Amino acid sequence: MTAAVVDDDVWSAIGDPTRRRLLDLLLAGDATATTLSEQLPVTRQAVAKHLAVLDRVALVHGTQVGREKRYRIDAAQLARAVHQLASVQRAWDARLQRIKALAESIERAKR
Amino acid sequence: MELGTIEREVFVDATPDVVFDVVSNPEHVRRWWPDEAHYDVRAGATGTIVFGKPGTGETTVGFTVVEVAPPHRFVFRWTQPPGEPAVEGNSLLVTFELTAARGGTLLRMTETGFREMGWEAALLEQQYNDHVSGWNFYLPRLEAYAAQVGTLR
Repeated sequence: MTAAVVDDDVWSAIGDPTRRRLLDLLLAGDATATTLSEQLPVTRQAVAKHLAVLDRVALVHGTQVGREKRYRIDAAQLARAVHQLASVQRAWDARLQRIKALAESIERAKR
Repeated sequence: MELGTIEREVFVDATPDVVFDVVSNPEHVRRWWPDEAHYDVRAGATGTIVFGKPGTGETTVGFTVVEVAPPHRFVFRWTQPPGEPAVEGNSLLVTFELTAARGGTLLRMTETGFREMGWEAALLEQQYNDHVSGWNFYLPRLEAYAAQVGTLR
């Protein structure tokens, strides 16, 4: 998947706390399901499943190395997702600033 | 970072009553957010908000009032297709919470529902205001409005 737009699948993939933790760990460096499961209170099998979900939405990429897949984060895809979140936050910050200015102008007019 | 929810907070130097009116009354809401807002400030009331001027490829989305508890809480759902009931999965839930503080109001906004319906919906306003840059568009409107409010009182 090379979509420029972050779609709903990406957000539902990131929505899971264990998968967010995996992304955090992968930001520190490439890893396998085995090494990742050693740092989390979940089984290697569970980690492998979560990694498959992240791989499907291109947030990580797995490469077969020997008997295991080695995963690395897709920085561009993660950046797109984070950027979109930041855009929504900025939109609300702008709205709240307008609410503040409007309410304060009304308050001043009343005084 | 919680990616399914957005939380923002701002201190407003105005009483909770005034702030509540600004965040809930459609006459005020269309001055800080959409171009048009049509709904009754009553729990369960449904209506619409419109982004963009009529005839310029505007977008109309549903707006449903969930809770009205002046001057403490105003809760609504938006982004559902107009005429469709607002439920989890087709709309975003916005909660305004107001607390009297330091002679003014602490206004807290929470928006949830992104995990269920994606983030594109929340970018609506931005998409339709791409050609204008924020304050360049809103400030003149706001100043005119503030002056008008001043004359009326």
